[in-house]
Amino acid sequence: MKPRHRRFAMVVGGLAVLGIGAALILNAFNSNLVFFYSPTQVSAHEAPVNRSFRIGGLVQAGSLKREADGVTMRFVVTDTARSIPVSYKGILPDLFKEGKGVVAQGKLGEDGVFHASEVLAKHDENYMPPEAADAVEKAQKAEQESQKTLVMEKTGGSGR
Amino acid sequence: MNPLLAVFRRDLLQAWRRRADWLTTFFFFVIVVSLFPLGVGPEPAMLRTIAPGILWVAALLAAMLSLPRVFESDFADGALEQLLLSPEPLPLLVLSKTTAHWLLSGVPLALMAPVLGLQFGLDVEAVRVLFWSLLLGTPCLSLIGVVGAALTLGVRGGGVLIALLVLPLYIPVLIFGAGAVETVATGTGAAGHLSLLGACLCIALPLAPWGASAALRVALE
Amino acid sequence: MNWFKFSSPQTFYPLAGRLIPVFWVLAVVLAVAGLYIGFFVAPTDFQQGDAYRIIFIHVPAAWMSMFIYLVMAGWAALGLVLNTRLSSMMASALAPTGALMTFIALWTGSFWGRPTWGTWWVWDARLTSELILLFLYIGFMALHASIDEPRRADKAAAILAIVGVVNVPIIYFSVKWWNTLHQGASVSLTRAPSMATTMLLGMLVMAIAFWMYSIAAALSRVRSIILERERNSAWIGQLQESR
Repeated sequence: MKPRHRRFAMVVGGLAVLGIGAALILNAFNSNLVFFYSPTQVSAHEAPVNRSFRIGGLVQAGSLKREADGVTMRFVVTDTARSIPVSYKGILPDLFKEGKGVVAQGKLGEDGVFHASEVLAKHDENYMPPEAADAVEKAQKAEQESQKTLVMEKTGGSGR
Repeated sequence: MNPLLAVFRRDLLQAWRRRADWLTTFFFFVIVVSLFPLGVGPEPAMLRTIAPGILWVAALLAAMLSLPRVFESDFADGALEQLLLSPEPLPLLVLSKTTAHWLLSGVPLALMAPVLGLQFGLDVEAVRVLFWSLLLGTPCLSLIGVVGAALTLGVRGGGVLIALLVLPLYIPVLIFGAGAVETVATGTGAAGHLSLLGACLCIALPLAPWGASAALRVALE
Repeated sequence: MNWFKFSSPQTFYPLAGRLIPVFWVLAVVLAVAGLYIGFFVAPTDFQQGDAYRIIFIHVPAAWMSMFIYLVMAGWAALGLVLNTRLSSMMASALAPTGALMTFIALWTGSFWGRPTWGTWWVWDARLTSELILLFLYIGFMALHASIDEPRRADKAAAILAIVGVVNVPIIYFSVKWWNTLHQGASVSLTRAPSMATTMLLGMLVMAIAFWMYSIAAALSRVRSIILERERNSAWIGQLQESR
């Protein structure tokens, strides 16, 4: 082989190997390599068993309760499709609020309750003053209301 | 004889004549791993949890320790300059030296690790994944390592410096390698981690010999 | 104007000397303005309260840590390929500033994480890859310092810098590729920023202030490097005589 051909073969070979590498990376993204699992994944038995792992999701509104002993907290983590009850003994971070993001590390008990040893608050990338947040919330509520009335009108219409 | 094969054969031959050097690295791996149960206590459940991490970190350190030897003797006796002058493309020559390094450091580690894994109470499936993850991961370590070895060639304090340069680049291999073994215990499937290890290898394979050759040219300027 | 004129250390040295005060003044003025907006004008956040205000330091520092690495690797590569002295000097002048920015980003991030997430540190992809960036900067400087001959040191460090570029896209996209604890980007090229206008303004002003500071620091450092490396050349002798 001439040196020129040889160099060409080397470059092509190198690019081919890089291509395989890219394919392998894409392949890996289909399987779950994650910092935390969602409640849906946990329900589908994709999460580790007998081993500590993290779950992440939103704290379901109205689910936060303090047990009689005064230190154990109970709440439900949801990804709107599925939800997992969590119990945690300790101090919750300041940003922990119902309806907001949370990541909890712990083990899944046999009773289906996730026993957390650490609870972290996950906040989103939105920053705005409280008044603006209120306005956004109101606007969303108004939209939901209008959708509801639309649905009611529809069902009302079909009943006639 | 094909010059690439000749370089490969020469490296293996030299290693055979200086067996003690390579055995030291191998026993370093065994001893470091054995220290952990003595240090953290013999509780089986905990040992099983930390085993993948320990085995992988020890493999990382052992692979790193043998790196200065890849170019040192060739540099000292002038053989490296001959390699640079040869019409053969330097990256390919570096690749055959890297392959020799992997056969001498990576493969023994991968073969020994299952035995140590059993000592830590890993089950058979985990040991199997440990073996394959090391077999896929150690060539990465050798490839990234020769770049560091070439960069620190003839540099004062090279031995410590090589750790500073190479260990941060080893982090992805460590994460995916140890992660693959852990997935067995958690029952989530090792395929994702193993294919990322393969991807690391595929990225390092064409790029590292090229980087190491550039570094060698700089070192011998 | 012939830009290549300034690619020689001899002509660049006085130019840098004239530019440095300008960048320093801009950096100080913008930092004061940015901090004023950040701490007195920008409203409190609806979910994080006042804790979010660390964003005015954290985000500009994190941006600069990644950007300086790219610029540094670019200069280093230029020095390696074209064999120009000044480019390599720029690369080694940028490294300490880049390391400083990475450290500030990690440090302020830790102070931000404690009140909001509830932890100083987690091993998620964003934090880990940023830590690797700090190691890469340190490795670059250590390798450069351990080789006595400057030209050889430049080239060896350049190769390391180029190898490390792989890490920068990993840091930037880590929050998209993996579900990390770290939140996603608030400002990106593809969509409108998810921040109130005054908050965004404060952050951008601070980002420009960090830019100005980095340029000023790098130029000051490159001047000392030029003096050190070219100390035996004729023009530096003349410089001393003219004093």
